[in-house]
Amino acid sequence: MKLLFIDLNHPAHYINMGVLSISLGNLIMILSVVALFVLALALPFPMHDDEESHK
Amino acid sequence: MSPALSKHDPSKKWSGPTRPYDLIKEAVIAIVIVGILAGGLAAVFSSPDEPALTLKSWALTDPADFVQTATSELAGTSGTAGYGAPYNTASDGQVLGPLKLQKWAGVRIPINTAKDFVVKPLTILPDAAVQTAVNAWNVGSADEQTKWATSYGDALAKSPKALSLPDTNNSYGPVPTMITYLLGMAINGALDGALTTSDTPLPTDFTKPMLFIADSGTYFPDYAAARHLHGDQWGVMNETGSWPGQSWLWLFSFFYQVEPFKSSENADTWVMGLLGVLSVALIFLPFIPFIRRIPYKIPVHRIIWRNWYRRKQD
Repeated sequence: MKLLFIDLNHPAHYINMGVLSISLGNLIMILSVVALFVLALALPFPMHDDEESHK
Repeated sequence: MSPALSKHDPSKKWSGPTRPYDLIKEAVIAIVIVGILAGGLAAVFSSPDEPALTLKSWALTDPADFVQTATSELAGTSGTAGYGAPYNTASDGQVLGPLKLQKWAGVRIPINTAKDFVVKPLTILPDAAVQTAVNAWNVGSADEQTKWATSYGDALAKSPKALSLPDTNNSYGPVPTMITYLLGMAINGALDGALTTSDTPLPTDFTKPMLFIADSGTYFPDYAAARHLHGDQWGVMNETGSWPGQSWLWLFSFFYQVEPFKSSENADTWVMGLLGVLSVALIFLPFIPFIRRIPYKIPVHRIIWRNWYRRKQD
């Protein structure tokens, strides 16, 4: 398990733009959520074999 | 509601297209995927491991700050002493216009900083010198107590590195002795124990030590600032270390960065009030003119249900 451990117990990197100040961790999370939202919109619903008969 | 929608009879059986949908299967898949993700990410990244701040760590790291803060607790000039409800009646606290919300909540956790943070912990020490000092404090009038502690606090402010000062003018009363013994208690960890068990037999209530540390002049504020945890650093969103924090609180945190909230003494109530108004607006979104027309201008739902709309068009 030790090999898998990535130590994040160190000061975060912050991105500052005017009044905005966001940690790299938070930025990655927000971008991931936006990417998931876009994927959820773009990817087709899984189709069932018998779905056509219900249309 | 548009006229076209109002023509539908909700009691009529749906005669349009249907599709099979296994809710249980979908829920199981979602739980399994989220479980694997949560377990996997926890195994790889672990969790924040910031050491707890204690009165002991404070007294060892910055004893002069501890001494000054403890004196302000005796003088009744600390942040907690002047906070108002739920700890005392020293101020109205946060208000929203004419609404004294904090005061109305009442004093539910009564705290007398001099008595609870300094005098009571010292009474458990089996030492004649400190008990003599505590007795001298207790028999002093309220005016005398304030004068002793304020004079000593003023003197310490002029010697910010000092842990104790001689009473050359005989104006500090028993305060220097009390503060010196309290520092000793903090350094050996006894003060943490005394404050966490003052109201309960088990050390489960950290209210008093947390408030005491929060009154610190430099130790606690500097510690929080170095980790971007202050309100004006978007601290509500941040986590210790490099982990992501509560990024969903971005809107709540945003208002603390801009005027007039940023410099307001009542920022908490104003921001909570504004978020309350926005939440109510979200609930009544379908009834708000212009806003309710957004789906017609930005038809995201047409992307989600594109197959349906395509078939409808065909």
